[in-house]
Amino acid sequence: MALQTDGIVLNNRKIKSIYFLLEIDCPAIANEAKPGQFVMISTSDNHHPLLRRPFSIYKSYSTLHPSKEKRGQLSILYKKVGKGTQKMSTFKEGQKVNLIGPLGNGFILPPLPSPAATILIGGGVGMASLSALGEALCSEKIYVFIGGKTKDDILCEDDFPKGKVFIATEDGSLGKKGTVVDLFLSEIERFDRGRPHHVYICGPEGMVKSLSKALKSKKWIIQVSLEARMGCGFGACWGCVVKTRDTEMAYRRVCKDGPVFPLSEIVWESS
Amino acid sequence: MKSVHHPELSIRIGKMELKNPVIVASGTFGYGQEFENFMDLSQLGAIIPKGISLNPMQGNPPPRIFETNGGILNSIGLQNPGLQVFIKEKLPYLKKIKTNLIINFFGKTQAEYVELARRLDSLDGISGLEMNISCPNVKQGGIIFGSDSKMTYRLVSEVKKSIRRPLIVKLSPNVTDITVIARSAEEGGADAVSLINTFKAMAINIHTKKPELGNVTGGLSGPAIKPIALRMVWEVSRAVKIPVIGMGGIMKAEDAIEFMLAGASAIQIGTANLIRPMTGIEVINGIKKYLIQTKMDQIQSLIGFFKA
Repeated sequence: MALQTDGIVLNNRKIKSIYFLLEIDCPAIANEAKPGQFVMISTSDNHHPLLRRPFSIYKSYSTLHPSKEKRGQLSILYKKVGKGTQKMSTFKEGQKVNLIGPLGNGFILPPLPSPAATILIGGGVGMASLSALGEALCSEKIYVFIGGKTKDDILCEDDFPKGKVFIATEDGSLGKKGTVVDLFLSEIERFDRGRPHHVYICGPEGMVKSLSKALKSKKWIIQVSLEARMGCGFGACWGCVVKTRDTEMAYRRVCKDGPVFPLSEIVWESS
Repeated sequence: MKSVHHPELSIRIGKMELKNPVIVASGTFGYGQEFENFMDLSQLGAIIPKGISLNPMQGNPPPRIFETNGGILNSIGLQNPGLQVFIKEKLPYLKKIKTNLIINFFGKTQAEYVELARRLDSLDGISGLEMNISCPNVKQGGIIFGSDSKMTYRLVSEVKKSIRRPLIVKLSPNVTDITVIARSAEEGGADAVSLINTFKAMAINIHTKKPELGNVTGGLSGPAIKPIALRMVWEVSRAVKIPVIGMGGIMKAEDAIEFMLAGASAIQIGTANLIRPMTGIEVINGIKKYLIQTKMDQIQSLIGFFKA
């Protein structure tokens, strides 16, 4: 159940280039959060910026977590790009921050036991929700493909102890040179046999679109977590819609009906 | 000295009695249920769910929302499931909330407005209707009616003839003189006018050289428009005798009080609902506090207190 609540900033630091990690003490949301869900964060008290900003939940530790220090914590991985994230990067330890969450549907985990592979493909801060998913997975065969423009854009590469991690950078500064989609396609033969695999995607629109094209003929179970500009985050304004194959209501809300959708349901409009 | 502990907050709009003057605006409050985790919905003076048309509407292509300085541009395009689905899936929940339910509606033609109004009027659990003649985002959103005083008069009188419940007419600021349209609505028999809807506006991304909204233009709302909205509410409340419901960038109780001083009998909260879902409740509490502090025992004394 989503609620509006204050959290306390525990830590807010740059992890590399323009990427930041915000850790918040917020038991009410941390207790409820599932992989793939998000929070709306208020970045200002004086309406500049006006709207809250949506962020995937990166890590969340319930109040029953074995590590006492971590109990009730929630963390957000963000990229400083605009007015909102600029303000966020100035949050200080001990400061109050107002959140609404957890929001959205989250990923559906693969059934167990499964002889099929679980494949995670992501780029940039899209890795945050895939990392949360990775933490929750009990599958055996986990493959993680991470992409970025340069090595500074590669995030969460150490978050998958249970998985085999592949890295691609467009400038070749880390891992294989090229896009993460190219890298994944060069490894796709690994997955030619076996049951329908479970694929989870989260990243920039270009990446998601080319994967959508490349995986069209595969009878795999593919879930994508979408990004959108949002008004409210909880389904009231209908500002964040995406076009789907739903015949009764083509435009569905990323915040409430998503952010996770079966990839085959999304209709990509030319832009 | 007189002491006031429980100021009277109730107001009347036509035959409707509201326990307080705070209403949540159409299009910013979903169908009510989206807000149930955040507040006790029955505390609101009235709820106006997202606007309804006779048939389902797809809405505009995304992106539909863009933030500007102090404001939001939106071009949702009145997406809604149509009357049938509304009655079946949304109304049962809304009816159970112990406050006034006002249904916002619109049509493509005068005949459609009249038919929809008649069908809504026949439903149980509805206190009143709010007729949208002012959406800037779709041609069929009524703006064609709301920017012409003769058409406004004709439409309002036809709709009014076919319903029994109070009719509020929601006005557009995108007109030469909003008081002229307000007077036409009053002459047509409107029980109240609500204003303002959003300002038609746009934004262009200089990197992609494309508009920020899929629909190119949208409606501007939020604190950026409040001073203009306030001026229009003040002008209209002096031009008509029917109650005026004020809105436009109300974020907190102080804003609401300003609108009431300018002549609004009630106010609507829009954009703020998206940011702080329980703004409505905070505004009610803030108004109550203000009345106690200023030793006013009823909200009525606040309405139109400011006379130039």
